[in-house]
Amino acid sequence: MDADSDVALDILITNVVCVFRTRCHLNLRKIALEGANVIYKRDVGKVLMKLRKPRITATIWSSGKIICTGATSEEEAKFGARRLARSLQKLGFQVIFTDFKVVNVLAVCNMPFEIRLPEFTKNNRPHASYEPELHPAVCYRIKSLRATLQIFSTGSITVTGPNVKAVATAVEQVYPFVFESRKEIL
Amino acid sequence: MTGRVCRGCGGTDIELDAARGDAVCTGCGSVLEDNIIVSEVQFVENSGGGSSAVGQFVSLDGAGKTPTLGGGFHVNLGKESRAQTLQNGRRQIHHLGNQLQLNQHCLDTAFNFFKMAVSKHLTRGRKMAHVIAACLYLVCRTEGTPHMLLDLSDLLQVNVYVLGKTFLLLARELCINAPAIDPCLYIPRFAHLLEFGDKNHEVSMTALRLLQRMKRDWMHTGRRPSGLCGAALLVAARMHDFRRTVKEVISVVKVCESTLRKSVCFRLTEFEDTPTSQLTVDEFMKVDLEEECDPPSYTAGQRKLRMKQLEQVLSKQLEEVEGEISSYQDAIEIELENSRPKAKGALASLTKDGSVEDTTSSLFGEEDAEDEELEAAASHLNKDFYQELLGGGLPGSAEAAGGPEGGGGPPALESLLGPLPTAASLGISDSIRECISSQSRDPKDASGDGELDLSGIDDLEIDRYILNEAEARVKAELWMRENAEYLREQREKEARIAKERELGIYKEHKPKKSCKRREPIQASTAGEAIEKMLEQKKISSKINYSVLRGLDSKGGAGPRREHARPQETAGARRLSRRKAPASTSGADPVAGVRKRLRPMVSTQPAKKVAVGEQALLPSPPSLEAEPVRPTSAVVVESGPVSYHPEEDADEEDPDEEDGEPCVSALQMMGGNDYGCDGDDDDGY
Repeated sequence: MDADSDVALDILITNVVCVFRTRCHLNLRKIALEGANVIYKRDVGKVLMKLRKPRITATIWSSGKIICTGATSEEEAKFGARRLARSLQKLGFQVIFTDFKVVNVLAVCNMPFEIRLPEFTKNNRPHASYEPELHPAVCYRIKSLRATLQIFSTGSITVTGPNVKAVATAVEQVYPFVFESRKEIL
Repeated sequence: MTGRVCRGCGGTDIELDAARGDAVCTGCGSVLEDNIIVSEVQFVENSGGGSSAVGQFVSLDGAGKTPTLGGGFHVNLGKESRAQTLQNGRRQIHHLGNQLQLNQHCLDTAFNFFKMAVSKHLTRGRKMAHVIAACLYLVCRTEGTPHMLLDLSDLLQVNVYVLGKTFLLLARELCINAPAIDPCLYIPRFAHLLEFGDKNHEVSMTALRLLQRMKRDWMHTGRRPSGLCGAALLVAARMHDFRRTVKEVISVVKVCESTLRKSVCFRLTEFEDTPTSQLTVDEFMKVDLEEECDPPSYTAGQRKLRMKQLEQVLSKQLEEVEGEISSYQDAIEIELENSRPKAKGALASLTKDGSVEDTTSSLFGEEDAEDEELEAAASHLNKDFYQELLGGGLPGSAEAAGGPEGGGGPPALESLLGPLPTAASLGISDSIRECISSQSRDPKDASGDGELDLSGIDDLEIDRYILNEAEARVKAELWMRENAEYLREQREKEARIAKERELGIYKEHKPKKSCKRREPIQASTAGEAIEKMLEQKKISSKINYSVLRGLDSKGGAGPRREHARPQETAGARRLSRRKAPASTSGADPVAGVRKRLRPMVSTQPAKKVAVGEQALLPSPPSLEAEPVRPTSAVVVESGPVSYHPEEDADEEDPDEEDGEPCVSALQMMGGNDYGCDGDDDDGY
């Protein structure tokens, strides 16, 4: 089987998590009172603000650090983060948009074949770990990319990594191994 | 010990008296060492006249009492802690292992794993019980015993996933490959529990065969082995006319009902496809055997054919659909061409380059849907891309940007198609126009200078998010009502703290400071080392320093102060983290003092410092006898040492971590030959 052929696999990015700082102290109470799309969690000390346009949810801390989740691409994440900062500006805080960083990207990919997990685990001993009692998928970690892949027997693969490129590289790296242990329909 | 130089006169003639345990300089008469420890075997005379060696057997594990040579100081404290941990672990392993009926060999292996874990500090921050359970389960896996992680979690009453996490970590850190679980292992165990009586063996065999078929068809990947086992047993029982309900099987196998049903139904449907279902039980057994001999089985072959047919049908359908899509695409483009002039007007204001416009219009063609409103919304979304294009400057780069942007466009649009209608319904088209027109501003690099890049941000919509006064009040009211519980608790807490403050018993609950490993003290002389150690260490509040200082002034300063040190450290049985790792080099004079103190302090190893202080006062008189020689011997420093009363020594902190054997005092003191070689370095 030609495992090196360029298979056009659709890697669908489902979530991009990013963080940025506003370099100014934020009064959570004020945000909570004047924002229409916010949830104030006082016990933990944060405010959740949800935006519609890029559909994202942001966790805002009073120190000015903001975590933004739910975007579907890196550009969208940045766009959403900027909108968020803009809305905070409108509320009256002296916001400076700094230290924007994409922290985590979650993507899903579907293989056109099913996979034999015990065989795959045996062939990829140090990287792959499979505990059927705990979780039905094999957890494959690539240390160099800092990426983790969850490989299910149906052929669906969930990848998480620090950025989109790492995610794509991870899928490319693991494809030949997965191809070896596929379930032949013949 | 030969070739040493006397500190007083510089002479090399040093006499060692083994009987008294002294090292004396024959030149000036100064005693260089006292109470030398020798490693010789002592013999004792028996009643029968023979002699036997004096000593104790010490076990390899470190289990059993380690002898405290005159007051367990840091050496023995350190050993004890680690030994205690291992001892404790061994006990727990045996306790759990016996409940699981593991043999001695397994328990020993588990203990070895545990020792490895402790040496790699994997027990830190984890409940001992979890680590023990993980070690035991690891053994079960490597030996292949039919124990499930669920059993262990039942015994411990702990969530199985928590145990699983610990187990995975342990296996990874110890680089142990736990072989995969074979569901066949569980069958005898479950069959026994289901009580099939005489036919136990036959039912087990049937179930085994079923499992093997499952394995051949690779149905068993991704499923709990216990679930598969349960399904196989259920079917096997039915086949032998045993009425075992699903509930009974579940209680034995510990899976959810739906899981079991799924496994069973799947198998049954598969059987339906084959003529096997037409056979009786006996024939099934025979046929099963035959099929086992013949790998490319009938079922598989049929399935293969069916899959091929399905694929062909699918591909045909796909082609048709694709054809339709392309025709729709053409129709859309034609429509857009007609309706474009309106959009072009808005765009014309911002696009300066004709070629840029072309690329943008091509973008449009790819991405826009039929609806005009959607188109407007899409253009609003694509402002981002314009940004990129404009920022590029050159048409070439703009085109390049347009390409990948176009590719990235569709997913973005798709995901946003959900919220798009709402955006459109908000009537943002005006605001979009406004935003588009205001894009003549140069886009700044947002991350460069920290200023907020406002391009592409719809201010009006954001304004809508901000509530006005009345709404804010309503919202505040709502929130108050929702979180009334929490607010009430906060108020009560405040009241309680205020009351305690008045009473003066309020205790600040400081967050625990993380352990800071301090550098071993680098000092050229012993005196310097002691000074540094004192600076690092914090002095106890339970010691009356004025008394100490008074004693110091008498001249018995060195030993007295040193009394305080070792007394505290010996007394403080809890390993305070704030003990300085008084280095091997620096603490040796102190060690020397300690050796002297051993006979006295042996009686008070575990007492608190407060008691130690009282002991201090009676002890000095006893020391009067031998202060002269030792004082001069200990070239510490002149008079009372420069220790700062503000510093706190290691005191019994109530919020000290209890019995956490994480850092042994030995490690904190910075050496593992502490106290043993104290002799040698005195005169360096």
